[in-house]
Amino acid sequence: MNFVWNGPMIAFYVLALSVLGAGILMLSVRKVVYMALSIGGVFIGAAGIYILLGAEFVAVAQILIYVGAITILMMFAIMLTNHKAEEEPFRWTVRNATAAVGSVLLALVLLAVIRSTTWPVQSANLNLNGGNSNPVAIGLVMFKQYAFPFELVSLVLIVGLVGAVILAQERKEEE
Amino acid sequence: MVEYAWLAPVLPLVGYVFLLALGRRAAEGLVAGVSVILTFLSFLVSLAVFTALGAHPDVTGTYTMRWLTLGAHSIDVGFQVTHLNALMLVVVSAVSTLVFLFSKGYMHKDERFPVFYQYLNLFVFSMMALVVSPNLLQLYIFWEMVGLCSYLLIGFWYFKPEAALAAKKSFIVTRLGDVGLFIGIILLFLSSGSFDYSTVFQAATTGHLGLSWITPADLTTLTGILVFVGAAGKSAQFPLHVWLPDAMEGPTPVSALIHAATMVAAGVYLVARMYPLFVASGTALTVVAWVGGITALLGALIALTQRDIKRVIAYSTISQLGYMMMGLGVGAYAYGMFHLFTHAFFKALLFLAAGSVIHAVDTQDLFEMGGLGKKMRITQWTFLFGALSLSGVFPWAGFWSKDSIINATLQSGHMTLFWIAEIAAFCTAFYIFRVYFLTFHGKPRDESKMAHAHEGSWVMTVPLIILAVMAFIAGLFNTGLNNFGLQRYLMADSPTGLIGKVYPDNVPLMIISVTVALVGIGLAALMYWKPVISAEKLARNLSGLYRLSFNKFYLDEIYYGVVVWTGKLIAGIVDFFDRYILDLIVRMLGRLGYMGGVGLKYTQTGQVQTYSVIAFFGIMILLAIAMFHVGGVF
Amino acid sequence: MTGLGGPLFPIPTGSLLALGALLFCIGLFGALTRKNLIIVLVSIELMLNAANINLVTFSRLGVNPSLSGQVFSLFTITVAAAEIAVGLALLLAIFRLRRSSEVQDLNVHKW
Repeated sequence: MNFVWNGPMIAFYVLALSVLGAGILMLSVRKVVYMALSIGGVFIGAAGIYILLGAEFVAVAQILIYVGAITILMMFAIMLTNHKAEEEPFRWTVRNATAAVGSVLLALVLLAVIRSTTWPVQSANLNLNGGNSNPVAIGLVMFKQYAFPFELVSLVLIVGLVGAVILAQERKEEE
Repeated sequence: MVEYAWLAPVLPLVGYVFLLALGRRAAEGLVAGVSVILTFLSFLVSLAVFTALGAHPDVTGTYTMRWLTLGAHSIDVGFQVTHLNALMLVVVSAVSTLVFLFSKGYMHKDERFPVFYQYLNLFVFSMMALVVSPNLLQLYIFWEMVGLCSYLLIGFWYFKPEAALAAKKSFIVTRLGDVGLFIGIILLFLSSGSFDYSTVFQAATTGHLGLSWITPADLTTLTGILVFVGAAGKSAQFPLHVWLPDAMEGPTPVSALIHAATMVAAGVYLVARMYPLFVASGTALTVVAWVGGITALLGALIALTQRDIKRVIAYSTISQLGYMMMGLGVGAYAYGMFHLFTHAFFKALLFLAAGSVIHAVDTQDLFEMGGLGKKMRITQWTFLFGALSLSGVFPWAGFWSKDSIINATLQSGHMTLFWIAEIAAFCTAFYIFRVYFLTFHGKPRDESKMAHAHEGSWVMTVPLIILAVMAFIAGLFNTGLNNFGLQRYLMADSPTGLIGKVYPDNVPLMIISVTVALVGIGLAALMYWKPVISAEKLARNLSGLYRLSFNKFYLDEIYYGVVVWTGKLIAGIVDFFDRYILDLIVRMLGRLGYMGGVGLKYTQTGQVQTYSVIAFFGIMILLAIAMFHVGGVF
Repeated sequence: MTGLGGPLFPIPTGSLLALGALLFCIGLFGALTRKNLIIVLVSIELMLNAANINLVTFSRLGVNPSLSGQVFSLFTITVAAAEIAVGLALLLAIFRLRRSSEVQDLNVHKW
């Protein structure tokens, strides 16, 4: 793999490292609030990578939904439950060791598989969006080709919404 | 007409189903009425079949359809009409009709009146179906069904502990015999390849009845004796007679119908039905004759001293069944059946009359009765007829049939059996008139019970009168007056002489027999009517013999000692094996599962993450297998 | 290089997939070891994000490159949103019931 040292590549590596760094940070801090904040870093970094990949709409959606909605929702959840909660220091129990070894092994296997596979080189002048801007192109695809899954997903959202309300509301008999 | 013989058993079955549908709250009149009418129709059918056969001796027939095919063999079901079957049909349906009528009065106000009639109808159906069975398997099925009905009816008053015990006893003791019968049937099937009578007889008489491990002659004897064991169980022959006296715990109409006239006669019928098999083996016939003779004497001796009116008659039944078996055993086929025919009437009569007495005074103890003749004129006279018939006094029915058997015993050269029969005849006359005098003559011994004694209603007296008439004239069916019609009728089943012999009348012997009977009656009269001889003193002088008789030769105790003890021993061994060996294995298996469960339950921590780690680890292992074993990833 | 469908930065596919793989393993490890239920949920989100990165990467590969990968990642994001909403609602209900938001306290299925 010939290494090209140009602006986008530098941006990619910076973003990638920050994503991984935020991920590791999330696992290493003790306070739950900080964990939730550091996950926000992961989401933002991932959004940057989407932009680099030319998926601007996905990147914006990522920021809106993940950073704007899910992270904030989690903050609320933390506040509503036990906002002072702290993660215990990591202990090498059998379970944790197994999980760690397994995760590392899985990562090694995946990396080995990725390295050993010859990936097709992207054509430089690939015209994914068909001359439109990316959101327009996505809209066209979504409402033409994926109209039915789109409707289904909206149904999932409705069900999730109603279900969340029913689950979260306080019930009389529990008092 | 013969092809409609199936109606005879089916009509009571219809009655049974109908009563079953009516339920337990049905009105007594309806229940009894329907039963009596259907049984009477059945009687008419039987009579028609009987006369049809008499007019045309060659119209006997078998009507069957294929039931099962087992390889080369096949099993049929259907019905068969022979002269013997026709006679049995008439006897069973006639007595049943009268007993049904009598029960209307006897069982009046019983809580389970409709159930009683259900059982009776089922019994009559089973009995008639047994009679017309065309093969041994069908016979065995109905053989067990009559046993079941007998059990149900003996235990009809199941809330009395004695009745429940007696029912159980009768079931178990007859079952001992049934096992023998069943083995016999299986052996016959294995050796002849068929359950059909004709095929079996064909093989037996031509010596083709063979299995690899036994000679044909021995097999014939063996199966004959096994069949006789079954018959002995049902017909209460020594030593399987112990259930019949206890069966008197059942309602008296049941005793009259099942334990006097019909079911206990099924054993005699079976021997008669299988007669060609017995004739093919002289040994089996000799066994039948001797067991019959011993039973006749034993029953008569025990009956001498019993205090319970029904038990006396029960032992009398045993004794008379012994006579029938003896008659069959000495080759007098027709006479054995003739005695069955007359006995059915006079013994049913004696039981019903005893039932009438019991109904009136509410006790069964002879020494609490006495002087009833004044209050129960009809019962007294009918009982007298039955007693005279049983004793064998000329010209009552019992005289003709019993004398025929004794005559055949003498003429066929069985001198010992002849003397046994005469002694038993003497005892018979004595004990039945002892009952008669104690019950109907002398002074009342228990005034309180006497006070409300009275004759039953017409439903009870009419059967008594009809039976009394039959007890008087039934013997005339086989006398010189009609050229011995009954024996010619019965012998028509097998013109080739396969089924025994008949003998001419022997007038000197008749005189001897009647004299013996009259002496017995006279002795009874001297002891119990005009007490010239003190019964107590006699009993004291012969105390050993008296106690032997009173305690039924201690046979129940011997049974208890041998059969029950052996049974308990075997049961103990089996129990030990079951409890400590089989159960041990089973418990070990259970313990294994339990231990496994206890061990594995610790994996159920309830921790989702632990589960996930394990699942994840499993996936990793699968991945490793995929990589290194299947290959192709790198 | 224009943002509107012009030629894209040729970032090596392997690097992108490696990023996804590592992110996935981090999320997996977090989901398996963290005690707090919220962090477990967050870790699951992390794994979904890793999958999204892969989807967007793959949308540019293949014989017929198309936007399908990006559309799928949008669907994934939607489902993830629904999932997190229901998950947090469950968390609240459980917290009310047990006064705890720790995974190890959810052991009603324990023997």
